[in-house]
Amino acid sequence: MKRYVLFVIALIVTAVYLFPLYWMYITVFKSAAEMFQSPPTFWPAHAESHIWQVFTERGMGKFLWNSFIIACGTTAVTVFVGTGAAYALASVQNRWTSLAIFAVLVLQALPSSLMVTPIFTAFKGLGLLETPRLAVVIAQITKTLPFYIVLCRASFVQIPRELRDAALVDGASPARAFFDVILPLAVNGILVTAILVFLQSFGEYVYARSLILDDQYQTATVGLSAFIGATKIDWIGIMTYSAVFVTPILIAFMLLQRRIVAGLTAGALK
Amino acid sequence: MNKLFARFPKESGFEITLAVFALAYLLVFAGLPLLYNIVLSFQQVDLMEPATLLRPFAGLANYHDIFSRPEARQVLVNTLLFVGLSLALQVVIGFLLALLFLQDFPFATFMRGLFLAGWIMPGLVVGVIWKLLFAGDFGVLNDLLMRSGILHDRIFWLSDPAYSIYAVIIANVWLGVPFNMLLLSVGLAAIPGDLYEAAELDGANALQRFFGITLPMMKATLGAVISLGAIMTMQQFDLIAALTQGGPANSSQVAQYWSWQLSFQTFEVSAGSAVATLMMILVLIVAVFYVRSTRNERMV
Repeated sequence: MKRYVLFVIALIVTAVYLFPLYWMYITVFKSAAEMFQSPPTFWPAHAESHIWQVFTERGMGKFLWNSFIIACGTTAVTVFVGTGAAYALASVQNRWTSLAIFAVLVLQALPSSLMVTPIFTAFKGLGLLETPRLAVVIAQITKTLPFYIVLCRASFVQIPRELRDAALVDGASPARAFFDVILPLAVNGILVTAILVFLQSFGEYVYARSLILDDQYQTATVGLSAFIGATKIDWIGIMTYSAVFVTPILIAFMLLQRRIVAGLTAGALK
Repeated sequence: MNKLFARFPKESGFEITLAVFALAYLLVFAGLPLLYNIVLSFQQVDLMEPATLLRPFAGLANYHDIFSRPEARQVLVNTLLFVGLSLALQVVIGFLLALLFLQDFPFATFMRGLFLAGWIMPGLVVGVIWKLLFAGDFGVLNDLLMRSGILHDRIFWLSDPAYSIYAVIIANVWLGVPFNMLLLSVGLAAIPGDLYEAAELDGANALQRFFGITLPMMKATLGAVISLGAIMTMQQFDLIAALTQGGPANSSQVAQYWSWQLSFQTFEVSAGSAVATLMMILVLIVAVFYVRSTRNERMV
């Protein structure tokens, strides 16, 4: 009996929490007149779709493509550079690696909105703003790399040291031990963390907004913010845009939910 | 450099090489900007000038400038309010949810997982959705509050200076609760069950068990969660950009957004970097606290 009371309570709490998401999806299908109706309707009277409009009038395809390129670049470099570092910081223990772990954790704490001023000024001086998408990738990696190292290190820590030692005793070089023995065991953690990094970069806003001056290279987040800045707010368009943007992210999340939860809990507290 | 490497044990040369790439990258693209920001805050920066590292030295003029602005006091109060209230609500709600979802009922872990949807969404999209919920005249939040009798008049959440900062805090709590809940669940699950059984045999009631066992056992986790929550709140930019942009009349302005606005909207880079430097000192203090509180948990 108590189980079902708890179940109902949990169901209500979850529904209340997810209400904003429901509201986004429901607004997508409303008509302009219904949108501003008071009291608001909780189910669209005549479902309409504005997806095509968002793509043609707002150039959403171009924005999504730019976000996609930036997220791919960021993820590729982060995984390539970060995996080795995560492994090294998990397997070598001395004063220097403690210091490095400390530095990585502290870097993770720095807000992008405060780092962007010096990065902009320096990149302008170096001429990096001429290739704006590359500039955003370089800047964004400073944010994703510490995050990636912390979470990946947690999955390397879980792999028994004896496996590496056994490979070395068998005559493998440290590099072979890493690539043939350790890496395959950590591939799960690496994949989930890489997807998290990708999703994070896909929704990145501050660097794209500040470092990309040419509209042609702008990302989906900046396209969305330009949408709200308009004098007359087209709420249905904005919610359609948001839904198109967020649905793939939510699907990826649903598919990986269990692993994400496991990875996060291992990484954040260990 | 060779001397530095010589300090490492020989057999871990491969691992060190792997780490050096990432650490060098972070040093160049995160460490240097951090220092450069401090330099900028003491310089007179004019964005129209040709790019140069050597600019006229301004001494403490930039710091004096930001503190003498009329909005400085409000920004300070708002930043403290934003961080303090967000943290308090996130931890309390997160704790209650963690306790709820640790109970045994159908679909408990699945429903708990659904909460993370809020955490995975881009902050800007979350901000835009909340902007629609908060709308004054046709917003669903006002409608629900009035129908349930909590409100008698509509609140213009985002355009009324008395409410704007609270609107941003509500949205930020929504964003932060899942992560708090998840970390606190992990901490709760790690408390040995026989402690509770023993306490129950001794006749301790639920409240006594909570304050006698749960809370003391959760001290380390709470320390980590609170400092991590403070860090994430101080990083929050997208929500503010989508909801109020610090307005109206700076009523919801916080330091991290102010710094960006000064640098990128009014092009007062000197003032912007002075605000950023002050805010970063605060972030670094919390970060050190965070690293120390997680160190106890580390099993390495």
